Amino acid sequence: MAQKTLLSVEGLELQYQTRRGVARAVDGVSFDILANEALVVLGESGCGKSSLAKALLRVLPRNVHRFSGKVMLGDTDIMALSEEAFRRDVQWTRIAMVMQAAMNALNPVVRVGEQVAEPLRVHMGWSRARAMERVARTFEQVGVSTDFLQRYPFELSGGMRQRVVLAMALVTEPELVILDEPTSALDVLTQAGIMNVLKRIKQEQGTSFMLITHDVATSSEIADRVALMYAGQVVEVADAQDFFHAPAHPYSQMLMASVPRLRQREEPAHIPGQPPDLIDLPSGCRFADRCPSRFGRCAEDPEPIRLARRHHVRCWLHAGRSGGGGA
Amino acid sequence: MSVVPGAGPARRGWLTDLRRIMVFTGKRLIALVLTVLVGVYLTILIANMGGQVDDLRLIQIRSNVSEQVRADPTFFDLPSEERQDIIERRVQMEVERRSLDQPFFVRSIDYLQGAMLLDLGRAEEMHSDRGARDVYWIIVERLPATLLLFGTANLLVFFVSVWAALWLSRRYGSGTDRAVIALAPSSAAPGWFYGIFLILFFAFVIPVLPAGGMVDIPPPESSWEYGLSVMRHMILPVVAMFLSSIFISIYSWRTFFLIHSSEDYVEMARAKGLPSALIERRYILRPTLSPIITSFALMLIGLWSGAIILEQVFNWPGLGTLLFQAIGHRDTPVIIGSVVIFAYLLALTVFLLDILYAILDPRVRVGIEGDNR
Repeated sequence: MAQKTLLSVEGLELQYQTRRGVARAVDGVSFDILANEALVVLGESGCGKSSLAKALLRVLPRNVHRFSGKVMLGDTDIMALSEEAFRRDVQWTRIAMVMQAAMNALNPVVRVGEQVAEPLRVHMGWSRARAMERVARTFEQVGVSTDFLQRYPFELSGGMRQRVVLAMALVTEPELVILDEPTSALDVLTQAGIMNVLKRIKQEQGTSFMLITHDVATSSEIADRVALMYAGQVVEVADAQDFFHAPAHPYSQMLMASVPRLRQREEPAHIPGQPPDLIDLPSGCRFADRCPSRFGRCAEDPEPIRLARRHHVRCWLHAGRSGGGGA
Repeated sequence: MSVVPGAGPARRGWLTDLRRIMVFTGKRLIALVLTVLVGVYLTILIANMGGQVDDLRLIQIRSNVSEQVRADPTFFDLPSEERQDIIERRVQMEVERRSLDQPFFVRSIDYLQGAMLLDLGRAEEMHSDRGARDVYWIIVERLPATLLLFGTANLLVFFVSVWAALWLSRRYGSGTDRAVIALAPSSAAPGWFYGIFLILFFAFVIPVLPAGGMVDIPPPESSWEYGLSVMRHMILPVVAMFLSSIFISIYSWRTFFLIHSSEDYVEMARAKGLPSALIERRYILRPTLSPIITSFALMLIGLWSGAIILEQVFNWPGLGTLLFQAIGHRDTPVIIGSVVIFAYLLALTVFLLDILYAILDPRVRVGIEGDNR
C-alpha cells in the first residue's frame, strides 16, 4: 500500500508549569499517520496521551511552559502557523476532535443541531439551511434521528450525546479526527455501536483517525497502527498486527499479557509498580523500575530503535538487532 | 444504527408549552402574594411592638388633649370636674377616630388589608414636602431621588464589573488580575466611609464639588440647569458607592466567569476554533445568564436597603433619610409603608425573574411541570 502520509509528528514536546516544577507531559514524541489510517494511542492514565491530542489541536491550558516540535499536516507545517491562521485553516476544518468527557461537551442552552452546525457556519460561512442539511445527513451517519436536531442536550441520553459530539467532529469532513477516550463512559453495547460508526465512516469517507484510549480490547477493532505511550514518550509504535501479536517493548509485552482473553487458561498478569512522576522523571529508561528484563544499559536514555518498516521501539534490548538504517 | 426511543420527550406543541407556563405562573403568583402577606403582617406586629405602641399613643393623646383644653381660654372658667369631662370626651373622640378602642388584633387585620391594597393610611407626625399626610405620597415623593442616586451607582458598578470581569477572566494570573484581587478588601469599608473622605477632599480642601444636597439652593430656574446641578451633586455619592463595591464585584464576577469558562463545552468551543467573541457570548454568557440576571435584579431592588447612612452623609432627600426620620419620630405608618412598598417591589421582581428563567433556560422551561429524566 502506497498511501500518502497525512500527519507527521517529529519531536513534539509539551510541558506544563506547575507549582512543583515543570511537568513533561509530551516529551519528544514522533509518529505518523497515513491517509485513511487509524492510529490507536494506548497508555495508562496520566501518561500524556490526552496532552498529545490537545497539542495537535492546540487546545492548550494557560500554564504551558514549552510547546515545540514539528507537525506536518499534508504539506502544511502547522506548528509554524499563527494562532489566527491555525484557528481559521486547520482547527475543525482539517483536524477535528471528540473530547474526553463528551457528556458535558455540549452547550446546555443551545439546540444540538445548532451546535453541530456551528463549525460549518463559522469556518465555512455556509448558510443556515445548507448547514442544517449537512448536519441532518451527519446525524443519520452516526445513528441519531434527525428529530433530535431541535432538542437540547439534557433531553438526550448519554449514548446519544456521544453520537452528537461525534457528528460535530465529522460534520466538516476533516482529514483527521482525534478521539480522546470516546467510549470510556459508555456501556458495552453503545461502545460497540460507536466503534461500528467509526469503522463505517473510515471505509466510506477515507477519514484518518487517532484514537486515544486505555482499552486494548475495544481499540483492536479499528486499529491499523498502535502507538504505546509511557511517561510522556512513545515507547513502541507498530502496525496493529505486529503490536498485538509480537510486541517488542517489555511494557507492550506485559500490557498484552494483562488483557483478559477468551479460552485462556492462565490468569491475566498485572504490571507491578507505578508510572513515574512527570515532574520528577528518572534518568535513563523511564520503565526500568518496573521492567523484568532490566540490565546495565537501562541507565542510559534509550533512543527509538527501528525494528522493521514503520516499527520503532525505545528499548536497549533491541539495540544492534535493528533491521537496517533509514526510516 | 438504531435510535434509542424515548431518549427525550416527544416534541411539545406551543399550546401545551403556553398552558404549562400559565399554570406555573399562577402557582408562583399565589405563593408570592402569601409571602408578601406574611412579611407585611410581621412588620405591622413588630412596628407596633405587638400592640404596646397603642398604650404609648393613648398616653400621648391624653396629654395632648389635656394640654389643649387647659390652654384654651374658653374653658378657664369651668370647674375642674367639667373640664375633666371635656377632656375625657375629647380623648374618647380621638380614640374612636383612630379606632384605638378596638382590640389590636382587629386593627392589625384592618391595617393589613389596607396595606395590601396600598392604602397605607396617614402618617402620625410626618408630612410630605407638599404638606400631604398620606403615607403613600410621603414615600412616593422621596422614591425618585433614591432611585436616581442608587440606580445610577449600581448600574455603573454592575456593567463595569461584568465587563471588566470577562476581560480579566481571559487574563487569569496577570498583573491586573492580581491587582484586582489585592484591592478586593477595599470593599470592607461601606460607601459612606469613602463619602466622608471624598466630601472632605473635594468639597473643602479643593472645593470643586458640592458637599451635599441634591440641587443648588435656590434651585436653578431652567430645567437644563436644574439637571446639571443635580448631576454635579450626584458625583461624590456615586463615586463613593462605586469605590466601595467595584473591586469586590469585579473579583466575584471574575471568579464566576473563570469557573464557567473551564466547563467542558467551553473547551470544546475553543477546540472548534470559534472566535473568542462568539465563545464569550454563546458559551460563557448565555448559559450563565440566569444567575447574572438574578443578581442584577436583586441588586436593583436592594438599592435602598443600604441608603440610610449614605443619604445622611450626603444630605440626600431620599427614602433612607425618610426612614431615618420615621424611626426617630416612631411614625409606624411610614415605617410600615416603606416595608410594604419594598415587599411589593421584591415580590414583583422575583415573579418577573421566574418568568425570565423559563424564557432563558430550556432546562427550566421543561422542568416546569414534571420532568423527563
